[in-house]
Amino acid sequence: MVKFGIEFVPRDLYWKTTFYAIQAEKTGFNTLWITDHFNNRNVYVSLTMVSAYTDRIRFGPGVTNPFMAHPIVAAQAVATLNEIAPGRVVCGIGVGDKTTLEMVNLKPSKPLATIRESVKIIREIASGESLDLQGRIFTVSGARLNFRTTSRIPIFVGAQGPKMLALAAEVGDGVLINASHPHDVKRAMEFVTNGASRAGKKISDLEIAAYTSFSIAREQKEAEKAVAPVVAYIVAGCPEQVLQRHGVTTETADEIRRAIVQGKWKDAFSHVTVDMIDSFSITGTSKTVLSKIEQLVKAGITQVVVGSPIGPDIRESISMISREVFPRFLSVQE
Amino acid sequence: MPLEKVVRKIPSSQREATSEKLIDIVLKSRNSKKMPSSLAKTILYYWQKEQLASEVGLQRLLKASLLIDPEKTTAVLRELGFEKLAAMLQKS
Repeated sequence: MVKFGIEFVPRDLYWKTTFYAIQAEKTGFNTLWITDHFNNRNVYVSLTMVSAYTDRIRFGPGVTNPFMAHPIVAAQAVATLNEIAPGRVVCGIGVGDKTTLEMVNLKPSKPLATIRESVKIIREIASGESLDLQGRIFTVSGARLNFRTTSRIPIFVGAQGPKMLALAAEVGDGVLINASHPHDVKRAMEFVTNGASRAGKKISDLEIAAYTSFSIAREQKEAEKAVAPVVAYIVAGCPEQVLQRHGVTTETADEIRRAIVQGKWKDAFSHVTVDMIDSFSITGTSKTVLSKIEQLVKAGITQVVVGSPIGPDIRESISMISREVFPRFLSVQE
Repeated sequence: MPLEKVVRKIPSSQREATSEKLIDIVLKSRNSKKMPSSLAKTILYYWQKEQLASEVGLQRLLKASLLIDPEKTTAVLRELGFEKLAAMLQKS
C-alpha cells in the first residue's frame, strides 16, 4: 500500500509548522520531512518541536546536505532526535539546493563520492559505532558519539540524475526521487532498479518515494498560483537534461536563477508557465492530483511525498488530501 | 470580562465551529508574530490533545486571536451569533 509523506519548509513561524505537523499526524500521513536551507528556520530545531508534539509520525530532514555542514553533524542530530522519539526518525540526505548553496559560495563538487561517504558516516555514527574512514572527500579517525543510540535510523537519499538515483538505491534504505511528473518518476525507477541490483538488493527492500512539489485547492488557478514560486526554484536548480525533456531552455532557467539570487521574486516567478507547473509539480483540484498520484503508484513508488507548497491554504489542503485523496488509495489497495 | 466567562457563554454545540474560525484567524493573520511563544506552545499542546474546542482550549485560542487580530475575532463572534460577547470584548 502506498504511504503518504508530507514536507514542510520552516519558513513560517515555528508554531505554525508544528501545528501543521500535528495535523499531518492526525490525518494519517506516515512520514514528515522538513527541508534544510540556511535561510529558513533550522531543520533540527524544527524537528525537535515536531518530536515533542507528535506521537506516531516518522520524521526527519528532507533533505540535509553534506556541503553546508559535515555529515557527522547530521549523524549527531538525528541520533539525538531518535533519543527523543525512538524509532520515528529518518534521515534524508542529498546534494542540496544549488541556488541556496551558491548564495554562500558553495559548490556541490564530487556529489556522488560525497553522498556515498556521507551515508556511511551518518549510518555508522548514528548507530553508535566508532568510525575510521579515509575517503575521497572525508577523513574520520575513530569518531564516535559519547552517548548511547537507540535504534537504526533509515537513511533516504534524495536523487534526480541517473547516477545519483542508482547510488541512492545502492547505499540508501530509501530513495527520495526528486520528481513530480509520472514520466520522470518512471524513468527514475529504471536507474533505481539498476542501482539496487548492483548492490544485490531487491527493489522491495527499498522504500521509494516520489518527492513532489504539490499544490491542491478547490480551483486549479488557486493551486497554480501557490505552486509557481516553488516551481521557479525547481527550474532554477534543475539539471540541463531534465529541463530539455520538459522543453525548458537553459536560458530561461538561468534567468530565473539570477532573479532568485538577486531577490527579484516577482521577476523570477513571472517566468513560470502552466507547462512548467505540469512538468515539475502535482497541482490542481483533487481530480487532477489523484490522476497523477495513480500514475506514480503504477510506476512503483511506495511513498508519495506531498511537498511544498501543499496548497494555498496549508490547513485546508491537508484536510482536502485526507478527505479526498487518501480514501481513493485505500479503496484501490483493498 | 475574563475570557473564561466569555467562553462559558458559548454553547457546547458551537464550540467546535468557534474553534475552527479562531484557528483560521491565528494561522492566517499577518500579525501572527504577536503570538507569545508560551501561548503558542499551550495551543499546540491542546491541539495535539484534541482539546482546542474544550473550554480551556477555546480560552487560549480566544486569547491568541484577540492579541493577533481583535477586529476579526469580534467579527467572527458576531458571524456566529454572539453579538453580546463581541460587544463586551470590544469594550474591554
